[in-house]
Amino acid sequence: MVSMKLCALVLAALLPGFAASTGPAKGQGFGSPNAPILIEVFSDFECPGCKLFHTQFRPLLVRDYVTVGKVYLVAHDLSFHAHSNEATAYALAAARIGKYDEVADALYEHQTEWSASGKVWDTVAAVLSPAEQKKVSALAKDPGVLAEVKSETDDGKTKIQRTPTILVIRGMKQYRFEGSPKWEIFRDWLNELLTK
Amino acid sequence: MNFSQSKTWRWLALALRIVLGAIFIYAAYLKLHESWRLFAMDIDAYGVLPSNGIWLELVARTLPWLEAALGVWLIAGFWLRGSATLAAAMMLGFIGLMTWARLKGLNINCGCFGTGEKISWITMLRDGSLLAAALLLAVGSHCGRRRARIEEETA
Repeated sequence: MVSMKLCALVLAALLPGFAASTGPAKGQGFGSPNAPILIEVFSDFECPGCKLFHTQFRPLLVRDYVTVGKVYLVAHDLSFHAHSNEATAYALAAARIGKYDEVADALYEHQTEWSASGKVWDTVAAVLSPAEQKKVSALAKDPGVLAEVKSETDDGKTKIQRTPTILVIRGMKQYRFEGSPKWEIFRDWLNELLTK
Repeated sequence: MNFSQSKTWRWLALALRIVLGAIFIYAAYLKLHESWRLFAMDIDAYGVLPSNGIWLELVARTLPWLEAALGVWLIAGFWLRGSATLAAAMMLGFIGLMTWARLKGLNINCGCFGTGEKISWITMLRDGSLLAAALLLAVGSHCGRRRARIEEETA
């Protein structure tokens, strides 16, 4: 009786750990979580390769796979560069008011400018209304958002060595790509993976 | 060294054949049990073949089978001069490509043993060792054959 209670206690203590190890760590999710393939993308707003991924590769992935329920895309924004910490804070703050896409797109599009000048807020503010600017500016200083920025980066450091890194997970198998592979070959491979 | 008659050489050659052959078969297996397109993406990253031509698909589909065949021939000792020479040429090609990629500053996968392994000094050292082994086998089998021919002619 005592040993059964002890087992139950041990299991209860371990359960949160099991739950945490089965799905992707936080990040911004796009598409259906029930999609057969999970793609996790680890990127940094200030990384040139990530800009290439975001502006050329990602739109095709979203159009052909995410919106049709074949892929669940999770974006992890990491802070490895001088100004990317601030950029990530604004992006995650914007996510809280449903403006993540707009802010992320703007940050990548004007990456060269704000990376050189350090004026991240100017880029972010340009795509937000005055009311939204107020909210995002306040949320970017919120301890919860700052903690999320830190935890994403810390978690990313344990999983990847450079950005962008794409993890494709289908069942028990995981495939890792560093940088953006050629879309046509990746697409055909993804189609093949979907048939398995 | 008398390659054809030395007992030491024979044992060394046998060990080299088995180890090299097994490594080639393992490398082939890792590529063949996944889609050829994964290997194609690794090859494409080197930027030496056109991405949308037939060459990329041809190399991605056939190179692993060539590796497997070489591995089997080396272990079996079949056509040793040819298979060892081919193995050495292949390793030389791989190392040449990796060196070129490093000099260009490309941070890409080696493509040696499936996907996900970056080119590094470790991969180059490893492949360099395989090249040395293949060269030794190739030279040894050529010299052994030459000596056997000379002995036939003088007999």
